Amino acid sequence: MNVDPRTKLVIVLCLSTLAIFIKDVLFLNGVLLITIIISLIFKTNMLQILRKIKRLLYVLLAIAVIQSVFSAGGRTLIEVGELVILTTVGLQKGLEFVIRIMIIILSATIITTSNSREIVQGLVQWKLPYEIAFMVSIGIRFLPILIEEIKDSVIAIQLRGIEIEKIPLRERFRVYSYLFTPVFVSTIIRAQKLSMSIEMRGFRAYETRTSYTVLEMSYTDYLVIFSSLLCTSALMYLYVS
Amino acid sequence: MIYPIEVNDLYYKYEGNLREILNGVNLKVVEGEAVAIVGLSGCGKSTLLYNICGIIPHIYKGEARGQVKIWGKNILDMKLPEIATKVGIVFQDPDTQLFSPTVENEIAFGPENLCVAREEIGLRIERVLKIVNMEKYRLENPNSLSGGQKQLIAIASVLAMETEILLFDEILSQIDHEGKIKIREVIKELKGEGKTIVLIEHDLDNLQIADRVLQLKDGKLEEFKDGETVGLNRA
Ligand SMILES: Nc1ncnc2c1ncn2[C@@H]1O[C@H](COP(=O)(O)OP(=O)(O)OP(=O)(O)O)[C@@H](O)[C@H]1O
Ligand SMILES: [Mg+2]
Repeated sequence: MNVDPRTKLVIVLCLSTLAIFIKDVLFLNGVLLITIIISLIFKTNMLQILRKIKRLLYVLLAIAVIQSVFSAGGRTLIEVGELVILTTVGLQKGLEFVIRIMIIILSATIITTSNSREIVQGLVQWKLPYEIAFMVSIGIRFLPILIEEIKDSVIAIQLRGIEIEKIPLRERFRVYSYLFTPVFVSTIIRAQKLSMSIEMRGFRAYETRTSYTVLEMSYTDYLVIFSSLLCTSALMYLYVS
Repeated sequence: MIYPIEVNDLYYKYEGNLREILNGVNLKVVEGEAVAIVGLSGCGKSTLLYNICGIIPHIYKGEARGQVKIWGKNILDMKLPEIATKVGIVFQDPDTQLFSPTVENEIAFGPENLCVAREEIGLRIERVLKIVNMEKYRLENPNSLSGGQKQLIAIASVLAMETEILLFDEILSQIDHEGKIKIREVIKELKGEGKTIVLIEHDLDNLQIADRVLQLKDGKLEEFKDGETVGLNRA
C-alpha cells in the first residue's frame, strides 16, 4: 500500500500508546490482533520478525515465575514443596508483557516498509532538522552491518575451535576483547570513510538544501490518520470506563 | 595565473606513521586539463588526492606542510562542504561511498546539498544514469549491487554535482571492458567541457585520455617515463 511514512508513524504511535497504557490482557490481545491485521495490510515481513523475537518466550517464562514467587494471588499452577513456582496471576503478568512488546515491535516494523529517505523526508516535512533526521537514518542503516560484523568475528573465533560457552568467565572477557577490537577498529574506519563521502558530496554546504523526494499526503492518508486517532481514543475511553 | 589545482611543496605524514608519504609534491593543473598519476601500490596516490580535496587535513590529521590551493584559495581556509561545491571525488573503494536506500536517492544527495532545483535534479539523475548505463537500477538499493556497479553509481553521483574539478581514484579497476570504454569517452567529453580532471590509473589503456602523465615516486611527482617501473597493466 502506498501510504505516506508520516501516516505510518501515526499508526505506530497509536498502537504503541495503546500497548503501553492498557493493562488488561483481553484488551491487549485485541490490540495485538489489530496490529497483526495492519501488518498484513502493509505486507511487513511478520514471520521473519516473529522468528527473531521467539526468545521472548524465555522472558515470558522468567517474568511469570518471578511474579508468581514474589507476589501473592491467583490460583497456584505449579509448586515445589512449600514454594509456589507458577500462579495464574504470574502467567498473566508474563503474557501481558510479551504481548505488549510484540505489539510495539510488530507496529514499529510497519515504518520499515517505507525507505529511509522517505522517512527522513517525512520527519523533515514535520519540521525536524534535516541533519538530525539524516544522521539517525544513517545510524539505523549501518547498525545491521555492525551486527553482521560482530557475528562474523564470533564465527571466526569458533572456526578456530574455541567454544566460547565453555570458557570460564574471566577468560571469556579476554576472548571478547580480541573479538571486539577489530570490529571496533573497522567500524571507526568505516565511519571515517563514510563521513568523507558524505561531506565531499556537499552535506551542509549551505544553510538550506533542496529535496528531490517530496511527500504529499493524499486523502487516504488523512482518512487513515483520522480514523487511527479516533479508534485509539475510543479504545482508551472504553478501557478506562 | 590562478590554477584550479595548485600544490606547492607538500609534505604529509599520517598520524602514527614513521615515514612521510608525500615528500615535497608540486603540481599545477590548468583549467580543462586531464592529468593522470601513476605509481606503485601504497606509494601515496590516494593520499595525494585526499590532500587536494581537503580530506587531509580536515578529516585525517597527521603532519602536513606545504600548500594546496583550489582556484587560488588555500584549502585550510575552506570547510569540506565548501570545497565540495568545487571539487568532486570518486573514491577507490566502492563499498564505503554509498549510503542511500535507492540509487536515485544516492545520486540526488549531492545536488540536493548544492541547492539544485528539484526538476533539474530529476534531469541530472536521468542523464548520469544514462552515462553509466544503469537506468534499469534507478530504484534498486545500492547495497545489493556488485562492486563494479557500485563504482558506476558512485561516478554517477559525483557527476550529477557538476563540479568544475573532478578527482578519480582508480575508478575503472572494477568495471568491465565496455563500461571502461564508455567512461573513458565520458571523461574525454568532460574535459572538452572545460572540466579539470586528476585521475589515478593503473591501466596503460586509460592513460590515453590524459594530457599529461605523472609518476608518484618516493613521495615526489615526476615525469612519467617507463611503465615497467610503476607496475602498470598492459591490457
Ligand atoms: N589512515 C591511514 N593511517 C595511516 N597510514 C595510512 C592511512 N591510509 C594510508 N596509509 C598508508 O599510507 C601509504 C599510502 O597509502 P595510499 O592509500 O595513499 O596509497 P596508494 O598509492 O593509493 O595505494 P593503492 O595503489 O594501493 O591504492 C600506505 O603505506 C598506507 O599504509
Ligand atoms: Mg589508492
